[in-house]
Amino acid sequence: MARYAMVTDLRKCVGCQACTVACNSEWAVPTGFARTHVHPTGVAGTFPHLVSSFYIAQCNHCDHPACIEPCPTGATYQSADGIVHIDRDLCIGCGYCVEACPYDARYINPVIKKADKCDFCWPRVQKGLEPACVLTCTAHAKFFGDLEDQNSDVFKMVYEQGARRLETSEVSIGPNVYYLGKKEDVDLVFASFPPHRPRLLRAGEVWRRYLRPLVLGAIGATFLGQAIAFFHQLRVGEDEFEE
Amino acid sequence: MRDKFTRREFFRRSTVAGTLATVSPSAGSAKPHPPGWRGDTRVATIATNCEMCFWRCGVLAEVANGKVLKLEGNPDHPLTHGRLCARGNAGPKLLYDPDRLKYPMLRVGERGQGRFKRISWDEALDFLAERLAELKQKYGPESVAIFPHGVAPAFFLTLMRAYGTHNMAEPAFAQCRGPREVGYALTFGQGLGSPEPVDLEETKLMVLIGTHIGENIFTSQITAFAEGLSRGAKLIVVDPRFSTAAAKADWWLPIRPGTDIALLLAWMHVLIGEDLYDKEYISKYAQGFTELAAHLKEFTPEWAEAITELPAAKIRATARAMAAAKPAVALHPGRHTTWYGNDTQRARAMAIVTALLGSWGRKGGIFLPTEIKTGKFALPAFPQPKRERADGAGTRYPLASEEQGVTNGLVDATVTGQPYPIKAWIVYGQNVLESIPQRPRTLEAISKLDLMVVVDVLPMEQIYYADLVLPEATYLERFDMPQIAQSAKQPYIAIRQPSIKPLYESKPGWWIAQQMAHRMGLEAYFPWKTPEEYLETLVRPLGVNMDVLLTKGAVAFPGRPYISDRLPEDGPLFPTQSGKIELYSPLLKQLGFDPLPRYTPIEEPPVGYFRLIYGRAPVHSFARSQNNAWLDALMDENVAWINEDAARDLRLSEGQKVILENQDGVRSLPIRVSITKGIRRDCLYMVHGFGHESRRLRLAYHRGASDTGLMTRVKVDPIMGGTGLRVNFVKVVTV
Repeated sequence: MARYAMVTDLRKCVGCQACTVACNSEWAVPTGFARTHVHPTGVAGTFPHLVSSFYIAQCNHCDHPACIEPCPTGATYQSADGIVHIDRDLCIGCGYCVEACPYDARYINPVIKKADKCDFCWPRVQKGLEPACVLTCTAHAKFFGDLEDQNSDVFKMVYEQGARRLETSEVSIGPNVYYLGKKEDVDLVFASFPPHRPRLLRAGEVWRRYLRPLVLGAIGATFLGQAIAFFHQLRVGEDEFEE
Repeated sequence: MRDKFTRREFFRRSTVAGTLATVSPSAGSAKPHPPGWRGDTRVATIATNCEMCFWRCGVLAEVANGKVLKLEGNPDHPLTHGRLCARGNAGPKLLYDPDRLKYPMLRVGERGQGRFKRISWDEALDFLAERLAELKQKYGPESVAIFPHGVAPAFFLTLMRAYGTHNMAEPAFAQCRGPREVGYALTFGQGLGSPEPVDLEETKLMVLIGTHIGENIFTSQITAFAEGLSRGAKLIVVDPRFSTAAAKADWWLPIRPGTDIALLLAWMHVLIGEDLYDKEYISKYAQGFTELAAHLKEFTPEWAEAITELPAAKIRATARAMAAAKPAVALHPGRHTTWYGNDTQRARAMAIVTALLGSWGRKGGIFLPTEIKTGKFALPAFPQPKRERADGAGTRYPLASEEQGVTNGLVDATVTGQPYPIKAWIVYGQNVLESIPQRPRTLEAISKLDLMVVVDVLPMEQIYYADLVLPEATYLERFDMPQIAQSAKQPYIAIRQPSIKPLYESKPGWWIAQQMAHRMGLEAYFPWKTPEEYLETLVRPLGVNMDVLLTKGAVAFPGRPYISDRLPEDGPLFPTQSGKIELYSPLLKQLGFDPLPRYTPIEEPPVGYFRLIYGRAPVHSFARSQNNAWLDALMDENVAWINEDAARDLRLSEGQKVILENQDGVRSLPIRVSITKGIRRDCLYMVHGFGHESRRLRLAYHRGASDTGLMTRVKVDPIMGGTGLRVNFVKVVTV
């Protein structure tokens, strides 16, 4: 079974945002939103020994996705090859998954009012095409492939050239988007854009532990109350009420 | 007369690598790829090329029901291999820009008011034909000047040559590549052309002098740059600003602006002084070495340190690194090179360093163009204009290109009436208020005109001054002259063909020119009915299958990029007057200029002022793309980069809106401050193309500030007429 991954080579990337626009165009992402973002780090260091780089952000298709559990309808799911999908028929646009993602990779599409994010261009990949961002990348800095395939570019970059993934001791859910580059550049990118603690997990937990029991309880209580009132009314009769 | 001959000879030879001459327009029939699918929609795929900038990357347009659904890079394109930048991907948002010019318009109010009435194409073309006939009779055909830009005006240029004027000028020369083309042609006998033949992919060392690859995006150049780096090439970046490229560099040299020639002379001094140059190459191919060596004696790295503010040790180290990598050194000649008015001499210095390293015509250096011999129509000869060119090409500016002209020369002639009055401007795809500096002077020139015509896709600010506005079809709706890319490593021919029919009442350039020709009795210059017919004639001698060309979009031919590949039919290696690389330029000497480059100090900013420098952002093209919704979403305004120490002194905070005021008291629109370590404290940087003044550009209007608006001063290069633009100073005014 394949295990898909994306690698961005920061030595090559110039932050041109071709990936962002190609993706927007491919998936009709509403203007002002994106499934893949380019964030410059700004300039660090001491003149003239300066460092700057780019963070290319997208869905990480994590080994342990934080976005699945909080989904109340099961719209978000992961296929065996690691790709995290959204079933648009099931999505109700509640936004829990958006909150849950430590990488802010999701957004609510205001046109269809449903969650949306990168799916590694699965419909293209199925047809044998490269993901739109990989095809268009002017610097040929983005690589997509199967980590189970020892001949793939991504295998070599991850297991032989030391591409790294953006994790912290706090947030370690096995992202499958990797970054290759000079140590100082990758360090700067990672330090500038750390994943936040899964608001998503917390949101999910809140849903599961408190909100869902509360809502179910409330529904139950309503029924119960209705029933009590009904039987009470049967027993007491209507003439208790005054005009 | 003496100069005339040498000049013509010079240019006859120097344009080998240039783009097409005006005689060859294009065409082709829209033969779609076999249909594919986009989601559940069946789509036709049209192979064409991009015009979001002028690199012309290969594009596949996916079309259904007369609508372009997506643009994708064309994997079959020999140069760009399916890659497309942000702008290229955003092409549909130009096509479907609601602010597009939609129908011909005639001015009804005062110039500048922007009040028009809608007219028909017949009325518009009749009006123009009548006015041109009147002007010809009253003032002579040379009184009409055309300001073209890009590919679309090609047929219109033919029309105007047939009409009898040679007054045409585009900013690609005197505001952009001119000094480079002239400087390299003086040295090697030929310029570089576009796409630039720099072997970034195969090189061991790249040298960028002010060239900001990474912010300036030409797709295949980025690919080669990144590929070269990942193969282990070293990188030297000379730039007062910590650019995207500088962040990837092994050596970043934050040079004092305007002192590049001193650095280049010091590099030559080390290469020759330490005996590190390519002796065999120089003795075989070059002349003037003795004069050069003598000239360089005093230009030590220590001498240059005092001027450039770069440590002498670093100057030596970088020179030695170049020597170690020679001949595989890709010293990029730059593209926009009109900086300080001494720019041809700087280009000469860069060319000489290239020669000393033996990099011209060698793998990993600068490669050589390969000619593609296309078919031609037997057109009648153009009438010979009775008066000299008004822009000074060939006279005031002895080595200016007559093919591309000197825009500022035409503005001067229009203002002064010298050498004769210019009475009409036809502005075609060029934005004269954003591309030519000294806007007040340009407006003064326009006020003297009897007729100003603008042909464009979008309502840029200049239409407010136009008498007649003609809406042109976008590149996705028209045939254009094909690209004959002779300066690519693998030369190729690539076509532009319509993906859909022109929207609204917009019309393609070839149609406008053809219609005008019929009205002006010049149809003999347009001996073809359809653009397809035109294209067929053009490609006939190439043995290219038309169907393949129309489906694939481009066809490549074998190139002979290195000296070792050259055949006799390629002509002389160094088509200079001497047939050798001219380290010492007898032609410059003859014209009264320095035959060897020399450093002369430029004016420094007064206290409290920064030198205004400018450049590009990856998501925008000049002043053309700011109204594109997708690109606007990524960058809707420019910012002013200010050094953090300078910002602290001025008590500026990040993101604060300020106004910039230049040395002449001209003020910018408000612009946000970006405080950074990544710029020297003597300069201020902004991205060009913002601060639009046209209210009809609803997204771009008054977003950010215009650098061009602050360029009220220029330093003109006496050799070729280019306007040095980095000679303006600004101070920060808080609001």
